[in-house]
Amino acid sequence: MPLAIELKSITKRFGTFVANDNVNLAVERGRIHAIIGENGAGKTTLMNILFGLLQPDEGEIFIDGKPMALPDPSVAIAAGIGMVHQHFKLVPSLTVAENVFLGMEIVRNGLIDHAAQNEKTAALSKQFGLSVDPTERVGLLSVGIEQRIEILKVLVRGARTIILDEPTAVLTPQESRELFQTLRGFVVQGMTVIFISHHLEEVMEVSDTVTVLRLGKEVATRPTKGLKKSELVQMMVGRSVSFDRRPRQPTTGWPVLEVRDLWARDDRRLPAVAGVSFDVHAGEIVGIAGVAGNGQTELAEVIAGLRPASHGSITLGGSTTLGGKSIVGLSARDIRAAGLAHVPGDRMARGVDRHAAIASNILMGRQDQAPWSRRGIISLTYLRQQTEALIKRFDIRAQGPDAPVKSLSGGNIQKVVLAREFSTDARFLLIDQPTRGVDIGATEAIHTEIMRQRAEGRAILLISVQLDELIALADRILVMFAGRIMGDLAGEGVSEEELGFMMAGASRDEAAALAEVA
Amino acid sequence: MTDRLAALSGQALAILLALALGAVVILTVDENPLTVLTTLLRGAFGSPDRIAGTLLQATPILVCGIAACISLRGGLFNIGIEGQLFMGGFAAAWVGFSFALPPFIHLAVAIVFAAFAGLLWIAIPAWFRARYNANEVVSTILANYVAILITSYLTINIFKAPGGLSETPPILPSAWLPEFFSFSRLNWGLVIGLVLAVATHFFFLRTASGYAISEMGANPKFAEYGGIDIKRQGFFVLLASGAVGGLAGGIEALGVHHRFMEGFAPGFGFDGVIAALLANGSPLGTIVTALFFGALRNGSLLLEVDTTASREIITVVQALIILAVSAQITIRRKASDSTAGERRWKF
Repeated sequence: MPLAIELKSITKRFGTFVANDNVNLAVERGRIHAIIGENGAGKTTLMNILFGLLQPDEGEIFIDGKPMALPDPSVAIAAGIGMVHQHFKLVPSLTVAENVFLGMEIVRNGLIDHAAQNEKTAALSKQFGLSVDPTERVGLLSVGIEQRIEILKVLVRGARTIILDEPTAVLTPQESRELFQTLRGFVVQGMTVIFISHHLEEVMEVSDTVTVLRLGKEVATRPTKGLKKSELVQMMVGRSVSFDRRPRQPTTGWPVLEVRDLWARDDRRLPAVAGVSFDVHAGEIVGIAGVAGNGQTELAEVIAGLRPASHGSITLGGSTTLGGKSIVGLSARDIRAAGLAHVPGDRMARGVDRHAAIASNILMGRQDQAPWSRRGIISLTYLRQQTEALIKRFDIRAQGPDAPVKSLSGGNIQKVVLAREFSTDARFLLIDQPTRGVDIGATEAIHTEIMRQRAEGRAILLISVQLDELIALADRILVMFAGRIMGDLAGEGVSEEELGFMMAGASRDEAAALAEVA
Repeated sequence: MTDRLAALSGQALAILLALALGAVVILTVDENPLTVLTTLLRGAFGSPDRIAGTLLQATPILVCGIAACISLRGGLFNIGIEGQLFMGGFAAAWVGFSFALPPFIHLAVAIVFAAFAGLLWIAIPAWFRARYNANEVVSTILANYVAILITSYLTINIFKAPGGLSETPPILPSAWLPEFFSFSRLNWGLVIGLVLAVATHFFFLRTASGYAISEMGANPKFAEYGGIDIKRQGFFVLLASGAVGGLAGGIEALGVHHRFMEGFAPGFGFDGVIAALLANGSPLGTIVTALFFGALRNGSLLLEVDTTASREIITVVQALIILAVSAQITIRRKASDSTAGERRWKF
């Protein structure tokens, strides 16, 4: 098969951060080629380079065997490349056909020829099995249909290679299956599809070839046939353990957090947490492992009071007979008052106000507590003292308490969040992705700090997509898959293989057996 | 600090550019731009009574601007200040002409009623925002029309004073805001506005509630995560903003007109919103921008007398300035990806 696309030694840097590091990608014509990797692995950056939205610092691009420079998307489009972005760009008040032809309207006698546009849209939609009504207003349509319109927009511009960036993220399972059928139809008609995802299942189901990216590097490119899910997981999350297991004293604490049969829905109203039960004891780190998107985020949000639970119970501070408190349905503020500190997974969106000073970020959540404020007036002296002390204790590299958070590096921003949350007197710490996007030095420091919190007797729930982090820190590891807990493993002596199989959906016994064979 | 300096010099450059464009507009109506400018300056600052006139015009713009600042800092946009001003003005006038109370007490009651009327007038949009997430921009702007027409109905049909004019009976002197000078109607309303600006500045800079509101405006997800009930807080922020809008109307009725009449306030509410936007939501900055708009309004009065240029020319220049400054703010925001956020607590 000839190559539709070939990227050679692509490197892209943003400041000191290397988003793509010497990446090679060869996509055969008439295939569905999946690019899989965790958030931040560099998938979208690579595709934006191929579509002319970003310029590579190094490397070459070949389209249909010819070397190409892609200064902007119009050149890529002319070369037969189309991209369906994660976020749609449609005009709700216009019809389907008007959206499809937006910017390249068919004009007759100086007026838009709506009849011709509708006809062409209908013809294309029939040819590729993308059922839409050309005359309907887009604002009235579902997300699944909107995606079809985006695909039609790409087709009408003559694309022969179509890039889809996380196309299923917004779809229901039914809509996803329909999309996959469409994609298979494309390759039957000789077109090429590049499909970005972090969902194993989908990649296994729809693709012919898989390229795995990890931390900006290409890990492997393999035919999907004959590839095992567990192999894919290991390639995605990495095999090498870069951290040693931290030494620790055994503890036998009382259960601080009790979760029983908890259910919750995601933003698409689909079940994301499906009947989860576990305890977290004082002086214990319970890790939650899983490929991103298996309900971990939603679980954390429910515990923190930022997402409603549809069923189940959570008690904080021991069982209710021991003076604990049921926190399902309480506000985030009341849950904090009951003893929660929370390091959120989406640090920039939720964890900080990046335009404000470090001091201002340290204050969040305690602004109406003495001695931070008295009679409603904030004590600037106390705030400054505390912020300076925390900057020192957490080794935050900043000019001072009034430096804006946005001027700090990713690792130091995370340290600001930790400094704020770990300096409360909460008995339970909910820590989500503590070292995502953080350099190795800061990661070591953050791990040390988490171990110190454990030694102080706090109960810690540590959610991470990095297995090495969990193996280094956790006393027990719960593996989440499709909203359920697949098993509860001791952190001591757990094998990455076993975890990998369970993250791909195997039960504990199956995983143990598979790990034995492997 | 350099950020701030760059922002200010950018703003000044934008105003200069707008003035240059305005000069071109003035040339097209066969006037000398320099004459227009000097007349404008003379009209605004040429004599004590002219300066007093400028301050008089700036007062309602300042108070309305503070009302806008309060909502802007919370990430909300109360564009219905004009309506709240009408309701507040009418409420104050009603207390002023309906009751006979001792001096100062009468004034205080009238002011409280004015603020309360503004608060009530924004309560429905605020409730819709909190309960149904209805966009407050749309609901408050619609409420403007209702407010203007309701007060006009009450004035003409129920409380009309005898005579040919569409106005209420006069407010009793016991409820007047005292004037400073014999030659101008400039009154204690200005002091109320200045005190309010400083108080609001302090509130956002130093109080726990002010902090919570600012963080809600800067990053609502962060505020929510930190335990701030953003729906409830947003509701109260809009109520406070509406109350200050009502207060502006009260000051205008009790200090300047001593009655309520049709066409009570010519766009002070909207000017206040723009003054607050130009000041980037800073109450102290709004003192400066309100003064600027007050000077333009007052100066343009003399312009009509002394030159053939009409007052509308000033409106055009004013629009150009707003356009240039907004464009400049937008560009800066895009370049640095910053919101209205600022560095709080410079130690």
